[in-house]
Amino acid sequence: MSDFMRHAVRRETHSARSGLSTVAAIAITLVAVYGLLEAMLAALGEPPWLLSPISGMAWVAALPGGHAPVLLGVIGVLLALVGLVFLGQGLLPRRRARHVIAHPRVAIVVEDEVIASALAKSARMAAGVTREQVVVVVSARQVQVNIRPTSGIRISEGDIKAAVEGQLEAMALEPAPSVAVRLADSGVIGV
Amino acid sequence: MNGTPRALNRFLLSLVGLLLLLAGIGLTVLAAVPAAARRWQDYAGAQVAWLRSYEDRSRLLVTSESWIWLAAAAFFLLVVVLMISWIANQGKGRASTLVDYQGNADDDGADGAVKLSCAVAENALKNALLERTDIFGVSATSYDFRKETGLKVRVFPRQGIAPQHVAEDVVELVEALDGLLGIEVPVLLSIGTGARSRFTKAERVR
Repeated sequence: MSDFMRHAVRRETHSARSGLSTVAAIAITLVAVYGLLEAMLAALGEPPWLLSPISGMAWVAALPGGHAPVLLGVIGVLLALVGLVFLGQGLLPRRRARHVIAHPRVAIVVEDEVIASALAKSARMAAGVTREQVVVVVSARQVQVNIRPTSGIRISEGDIKAAVEGQLEAMALEPAPSVAVRLADSGVIGV
Repeated sequence: MNGTPRALNRFLLSLVGLLLLLAGIGLTVLAAVPAAARRWQDYAGAQVAWLRSYEDRSRLLVTSESWIWLAAAAFFLLVVVLMISWIANQGKGRASTLVDYQGNADDDGADGAVKLSCAVAENALKNALLERTDIFGVSATSYDFRKETGLKVRVFPRQGIAPQHVAEDVVELVEALDGLLGIEVPVLLSIGTGARSRFTKAERVR
């Protein structure tokens, strides 16, 4: 795979954070527009709209001032939490739920939901149950197949596992997840 | 595969997060520890007093106000411009020209240029894929990314369709497109689920 393709695939499998970036940019713009207004009013010698810059700074310098410490503490904790969310968005890798299929010509990225529905179909065929009795969860390194058998009909865990693993092998995903099959203890009736 | 400035996004989000975190921790400490509050008031009060005296000393003749407010206004204006350009850079990078080949006398003996619009490749792939019944929707878009033009094909198959079969067919189409265009365009295939494939029944008979 070429360098170009590797970068393109990385872009597809990791989130761009453009939503939160836009939100942050709009919030900062609003604050800056207000700051611009008050700074211009102060520069022209007009009375301030809400708070002149120097008295704003004096208010910050006098904190906690006469305010209730509990209120200030709560606001501080909230600010710190929002900051942590932003910091986490900026520093964590933010993988998307997608897998890569290796191919020399075309870079292929598949959403985990598509993989899950294909695996659910082959598990359903192998077990001979209906759609509603199979739940497949695909994560980066593991595929979990949950089946509720029909009451009174024995199904073999090994067959289902082999069918799902065969399908998964045909997909040639990168990284290849492992398969775990779980049969529910109770069966369903009337399907 | 678009031109969203991801490194910048991460850096600016981390910076905003760090500043908010520090401000929040500082405010909590001020509210909780009286000794820290006294030290802060001493320190910051002195700074504000200095700023007040500097403001008095730096009044301009024209407006009889200090120039520092003009400087502050210029700073805020710069921040606004930077934030707007940050927003404008999200998701850009759509391309319109796939190939721009300048013929020359040494190469093929003909003067002239060949220009292929991205719509050629996009429509060829889209029309070929929309004929199929196991695929709900197709979108093909071209992006300028890292000084190359690449094609991104997004395919929405029905529930239960094995992605490798869809991928094989798209690869075949791409190879046919290579032959048609005479060049190999980088192609990224993204197989996903849309709302339509989620809420409709799986295909039972083919």
